[in-house]
Amino acid sequence: MSALLELENVHAGYGPTSVLHGVSLEVPEGGVVSLLGANGAGKTTTLRAITGGVRWTGDIRFAGRSLRRRATEDIVSQGIAHVPEGRGICTELTVDENLRLGSHLRRDKAEVRKDYDRVFEYFPVLKERRKLSASTLSGGEQQMLALARALLMRPRLMLLDEPSLGLAPLVVRSIFEIIRTINETSRVAVLLVEQNARIALQLSSVAYVLEVGRVAVQGAASELQDNESVRRSYLGY
Amino acid sequence: MQEFFQLVVSGVATGGIFASLALALVLIYNAMGLVNFAQGEMAMFATFLAYSLVGTGMSFWIAFPVTLVLAFVGGIAVQRIVIKPVERAPVLTLVIITLGLATLINGLAGFIWSYVPRSFPSPFSADTVGIGGVFISYRDLGVIAVSGLVLLVVYLLLQRTTVGLTMRAAAHHPEASRLLGVHVSWMLALGWGLASAVGAVSGMMVAPILLLEPNMMQSIIIYAFAAAVLGGIESPLGAVIGGLIVGVTVNLAGTYIPNAGDLELAFGLGIIILVLILKPNGLFGRAAIRRV
Repeated sequence: MSALLELENVHAGYGPTSVLHGVSLEVPEGGVVSLLGANGAGKTTTLRAITGGVRWTGDIRFAGRSLRRRATEDIVSQGIAHVPEGRGICTELTVDENLRLGSHLRRDKAEVRKDYDRVFEYFPVLKERRKLSASTLSGGEQQMLALARALLMRPRLMLLDEPSLGLAPLVVRSIFEIIRTINETSRVAVLLVEQNARIALQLSSVAYVLEVGRVAVQGAASELQDNESVRRSYLGY
Repeated sequence: MQEFFQLVVSGVATGGIFASLALALVLIYNAMGLVNFAQGEMAMFATFLAYSLVGTGMSFWIAFPVTLVLAFVGGIAVQRIVIKPVERAPVLTLVIITLGLATLINGLAGFIWSYVPRSFPSPFSADTVGIGGVFISYRDLGVIAVSGLVLLVVYLLLQRTTVGLTMRAAAHHPEASRLLGVHVSWMLALGWGLASAVGAVSGMMVAPILLLEPNMMQSIIIYAFAAAVLGGIESPLGAVIGGLIVGVTVNLAGTYIPNAGDLELAFGLGIIILVLILKPNGLFGRAAIRRV
């Protein structure tokens, strides 16, 4: 069975600075894969390459089709929801308007309504604050809004860039619980970029560790978790 | 006192004209952080198109919407052909390009229609109506109604429709919007089209008052800048309120300050300078503070 998302020897960078030096990885249908590594290892750039935010060579395939030379707008409408670094919340807009941006391309109105109900079940606080400006939300609530908005796109794959960034440990735990629930109930595959390796490994089945633009280690999450030397040299705990 | 109220009402009418053009400026400023110096000339060109349409015997009220459609398409064309290739250039480059565009459109209009001022038909009667002792001309009422309607339509479009929502998102958060499937570049083009159409309204409303010629909008654009800056250059609502304030103030000052007629334009520029010194974000603008 071929993977939902495949990266094959991807090189990418910004102008003259190259950041990725041949990254290959796979995300299976419905699976959760972590992308770990230090600051500057190229985790965010990998995600940006997938949704066309940075030029790349090599090949990236989604559901068997190459994403080469495709515009970001087209890539995401194929079923990839990318929650970027910093969450990408439109702070000029209300919570509700942000959510509507998630579903604005969908024509299946009845299903959209069901998805709204589901999203508000996961994140009741968003329902309470629907009419408020998104800028009034706390960091954790903004992360919830970003996840909710991504869910409303009804993606087959979610790219999550550091969902734990800047959040209190308790909030991080509840957000990761919800990511797990989303993955289990809707079979959405997740490619998770995280600094917090411990919590990412608990959630995922497979993990890749990037080091200076290359995959340094890869394997089942449980193995990486148990491997003392990998933990010490790459994951820092 | 009666004179005062009459001046206020006709000031509101002029203010509606300023507000339309100011709103056009704000729409483009929001979309790309750029002040479009060609906005007035684009409006002037559209007004000439309306003039030519009326010249063929078309009724004003048919020529009006036809012109709006032409201006809309023209605005999109300008964005696609002139602006898009240099979208990523520094703002200064873009500013120079809009200045060049203004000169180009002005010359083109002069070439086609010449610089001889022409009278532009007003769709409203010159009669006045007395309301509570205040005499108001149907022209002023008509201008207020048309500008008000246009501003309302723009408001509803931006705030109540999905297209409006994606336009606002694309303007403020292009990167995040792209990730949500918004075609940001086309939203910018739509913004230019919309701005061009809204600007055309101001041209068609002011032409019967000023006489139509290629330099007609050059004073109006100064007042529109004043209105936009006063309201806070990012705020559509601010542009409208700024336009009304500038319209009424200019009208009152022109009457109550002796010999102020010569100073009216200086007055508009004075407002810009004062606002920039005292309250750089305008009445409705947000301070440029970002949460990190």
